[in-house]
Amino acid sequence: MMNDQTLIIVLLVTGLPFVAFGVILLGTRACPRLSAGVSLTAAGIAMLGAGYLLGTHWQMTQPVIFSSRWMTSGSLEIVLGVLLDPLSLLMLLLVTAISFLVQFYSLGYMAGDPGLARYYAYLSLFAWAMTNLTLAPNLLQLYIFWELVGLSSYLLIGFWSEKFSASEAGKKAFVMTRLGDVAFFIGILVLLLALGNLDILALNDPPVADKLPPAGLTWAALLIFGGIIGKSAQFPLLTWLPDAMEGPTPVSALLHSATMVAAGVYLFARLFPFFSLSSTAMTVMLAIGTLSMLLAATMAMVTRDIKQVWAYSTISQLGFMIMGLAAGGYFAGVFHLVTHAGFKALLFLCAGVFIHHFGTNDMFVIGRRAGRRQRVPMLCLVVAAGALAGLPPLSGFFSKELILGRLADLDSPLWLAAGLLGALLTAYYAFRLIFVILSPRPPEEEEEMDAGDQRSAHAHHSAGGTAAMVVPLLILTAVTIALGFYQNQLDIFLAASLTRAMMPAGHHDWLFYSAVGAAVAGVALAWMAFGRPGASQKGVVARFAGLNRLFAQRWYLDHLYRWLLDHLVYGLFAKVCLQNDRKVIDAGLDGLAQGTVGAGRVMSGIHKDAIQPKLLVMFVVMLLLALYFIF
Amino acid sequence: MILGGFPYLTSILMACLLGLGGILMLPAERALAIKKVSALFSGITLVLSLFLFVAYDRELGGMQFVEKYLWVEALGIYYHNAADGFSLPMLLLTGIVFFTAVLTMWELEHRVKEFFALFFLLVTGVFGLFMSLDLFFIFVWYDVSLFPMYLLIAVWGSTRKEYGAMKLTLYLLAGSALILPAIIFLVVKAGLNTFDLTALMQPGLFTPYEQKLAFLLLFIGFGILAGVWPFHTWSPVGHVAAPTAVSMVHAGVLMKIGSFGILRIAIYLCPEGWQYWSQAMALLAAVGIVYGALVGLGQTDLKYVVGYSSVSHMGIVGLGLATVSVDGLNGAVFQMFAHGVMTALFFSSIGYIYDKTHTKMIDELGGLNRIMPKASAFFILAAFAGIGVPCLASFWGELIVFMAAFKAFPLRGIAAISGLVISALFMLRVVQKTFYGPPNPKLAHLVDMSPALSVPRVILAAVIVLFGLFPSLLFDVIQTASLPLIGGLTP
Repeated sequence: MMNDQTLIIVLLVTGLPFVAFGVILLGTRACPRLSAGVSLTAAGIAMLGAGYLLGTHWQMTQPVIFSSRWMTSGSLEIVLGVLLDPLSLLMLLLVTAISFLVQFYSLGYMAGDPGLARYYAYLSLFAWAMTNLTLAPNLLQLYIFWELVGLSSYLLIGFWSEKFSASEAGKKAFVMTRLGDVAFFIGILVLLLALGNLDILALNDPPVADKLPPAGLTWAALLIFGGIIGKSAQFPLLTWLPDAMEGPTPVSALLHSATMVAAGVYLFARLFPFFSLSSTAMTVMLAIGTLSMLLAATMAMVTRDIKQVWAYSTISQLGFMIMGLAAGGYFAGVFHLVTHAGFKALLFLCAGVFIHHFGTNDMFVIGRRAGRRQRVPMLCLVVAAGALAGLPPLSGFFSKELILGRLADLDSPLWLAAGLLGALLTAYYAFRLIFVILSPRPPEEEEEMDAGDQRSAHAHHSAGGTAAMVVPLLILTAVTIALGFYQNQLDIFLAASLTRAMMPAGHHDWLFYSAVGAAVAGVALAWMAFGRPGASQKGVVARFAGLNRLFAQRWYLDHLYRWLLDHLVYGLFAKVCLQNDRKVIDAGLDGLAQGTVGAGRVMSGIHKDAIQPKLLVMFVVMLLLALYFIF
Repeated sequence: MILGGFPYLTSILMACLLGLGGILMLPAERALAIKKVSALFSGITLVLSLFLFVAYDRELGGMQFVEKYLWVEALGIYYHNAADGFSLPMLLLTGIVFFTAVLTMWELEHRVKEFFALFFLLVTGVFGLFMSLDLFFIFVWYDVSLFPMYLLIAVWGSTRKEYGAMKLTLYLLAGSALILPAIIFLVVKAGLNTFDLTALMQPGLFTPYEQKLAFLLLFIGFGILAGVWPFHTWSPVGHVAAPTAVSMVHAGVLMKIGSFGILRIAIYLCPEGWQYWSQAMALLAAVGIVYGALVGLGQTDLKYVVGYSSVSHMGIVGLGLATVSVDGLNGAVFQMFAHGVMTALFFSSIGYIYDKTHTKMIDELGGLNRIMPKASAFFILAAFAGIGVPCLASFWGELIVFMAAFKAFPLRGIAAISGLVISALFMLRVVQKTFYGPPNPKLAHLVDMSPALSVPRVILAAVIVLFGLFPSLLFDVIQTASLPLIGGLTP
């Protein structure tokens, strides 16, 4: 099982962030610096512990489990614990490392914010929820912490709660992910009912297929995938994620790289053998991943907001990971999750430096105010964008090629075509942003007006703290450059736990050229439209006004949801129920009460007045009775 | 009798009555002394109920702390008190809500003496009902807890208080008009000349037909009090009209009398009726869960919002009871406890906000998080509990009930689970409109909650978090009653 030392480390990693949360909330709230210190210490120890665990278990062959009963109800036992296997250990290191870097970066970015202590408390809560989600040995624990991740991201997205848009974004994120969570929860119940066990290792065991009918298996898989759709912002629940950019930029970096939204993909990888038992479910997931990947890429092509670009790109890349997993590429999907975590965190943190410095989210304005003079962040941004675009030898290239290879193995060439198209669009929008900042154009009036409503949420300017912001950038840049070369080691490490369900990938010599070709074509397109001297900087899409509007309005998905919410939920259901309460139930009872009072009036009227008629009636009745008895 | 035969349960009642006597003996102008006496004696009931909760022997299970004396021999009425896994959480809940409600009313100035005297009388009835095992006494305690309610709302209330008080009283009397015939029917049919619940519990005493009939009467009678849809409309109106402490006790404890009555009397005496009607119960409960949340979406008054959330949450209790399973009962009783503490916290924090701002209309508030962060934090915590966030008590009740419900009635279970989305939407909407956004300049001068006034809210919040982190503290006690009950059912 587990030796004492490992157990202590595990307890520290999974427990300390919560302790930090409690300490900050109950003790050090009044002292922001101390609170930040507490939180950072916890996050740092968690990161070192995660590194230690990964190091000591590098040669592991059997997963290590530690669990204890949390509560019992009837025959149902709810068990909390940890499951250490290559996937969870890798993810744990990713989560704790990004958490720590983001917390460190926030020292600079959030310096002087009045809610700093609260901010660090939420970050600690978030880190706690995420680590326990990662290590969950059963689906119920995963669900519990999945919900807590939802709660803490609600708090972080709506951190600047005085702003209407921020609190609205937090609410939207929570409710939309909850929609997916309901499906996830029902899926868990289906499995619990059918198997009586939610153990992840048991679910991934092939005999599961014998206990569940194929239809039940497909349903359970699709319901659980509903949770993934919500959390990882896939079609059709993708519109909350761009709004979630209302949170502080470090939070966006945290949520959209290794943690919250990645939790969905992580769940997919966690249950990969289970999901792959149902080919119907896998096909549905492949389709949804592809659709989300392409939709979000088109949205990213037209927005001016630097954070929005990365937000759409997150949806798009998550869709890409799901494509990889659904195409049967376990390592491809997981590896892209890992590389993406690094370069996406880097992209957001670079964007944060610009936003912090220039006080705006508009990339055109940043370009005009000489954003390129910020040499270090600019360099890091180019590296990260190159990784996102899939240019060799950066990390994104390796993982993207693996996924494309998996897509090439599929029967229909359409999936590969979609993947290559996605790669091209990705390279285009990533380098559009780079060229806009690198080669600014004089302002036009219309642009300035647009910039007005793109004002940054980050209102306060403080000069200090840039060193704290630059260090994480450099670390992440190094990781982005180097990570791709560790592909084989990671592959061997991850494969150790998953002998079954690993289909060998086919080999395609031409794939390297087509992958690089798509990326280079995208960059060239961006260069033509934005980078080359004398470029109009209008963009490729702007030539087609209708398409441009469609992309800018997010394919009108938000409008549709707003309409459904206003007209169906508020306008119809809520109103009908309320009217039923007032007009049917209450009015009926008030009517009954008034009827009773009215009847009482009538009765009392009969009894009160009109003595003479009553006497007359009495007299007549007596008379009749007398006559009856006499005769 | 266990634990040396000391009458612990009666001493809870005695503490209430002594407190009542103390309040009555003090002159009305010594308001502070009256409040201190109230706090002292309500504190004693809390300590006693907590002691019982801890001292209960979980291994042994069953009825403990039994006190049984013949009261009226000719009619077979016993003064019979005992506590088991179902009633202990309720007694603890009553103690917690009672004590914190008294502290919440610390700033009351209007007719202090009468208020606390009536309040003590009300709670005496509630305590009595939860511990009694005699049908006659249960009915008496039920009415003892009803009548002070009318005066408390009509005199100290707000927002259509006479209407609310009258509506509430009439509804609940209508409930007791169904309960009394059912009780008499059962006692006469049994022919044992006893009102003792334990004697009437023997299987085979009532025919299936009798059980179905009596169960229906008892279910509707107590169901009115539990806010079962469509008999729920008195409850939001009553919550809104009532003063803070009464809202707390009303939503926190009194509605539980309804579900507890269904459990203790209807289910224990008519198990076959329970199984027969369970489908219909589940339907009403599932409708109530979704319906309550939907009506809550459109509300503009903070207290109405909480009132309708109670309808929704009590639907979860009803759903759990309807499943006829160990998990369902466990979840239902846990949810009763969790909901009680949660709504008490809701009303307690609304009470402070209303005292300071003199409004509970959501549109007139706004940005309170900036003005009174502590008072807001308590409400937001309660709202999270209401949404069913893990680590807060309600989560476990909902989780277990939904598991049981999905097993027993998949479609109704799914409908109820979907209610989670609506309840999230409506709670977060209220939180956003009331506490977030720019501070309302008209309210900017108001002060935040003082540490002393925070005490009752901190207690409630701590209880929510404690049982949210360690649910087995409660489940292990409830289990001792639910396992034998389900085990004793004739299949």
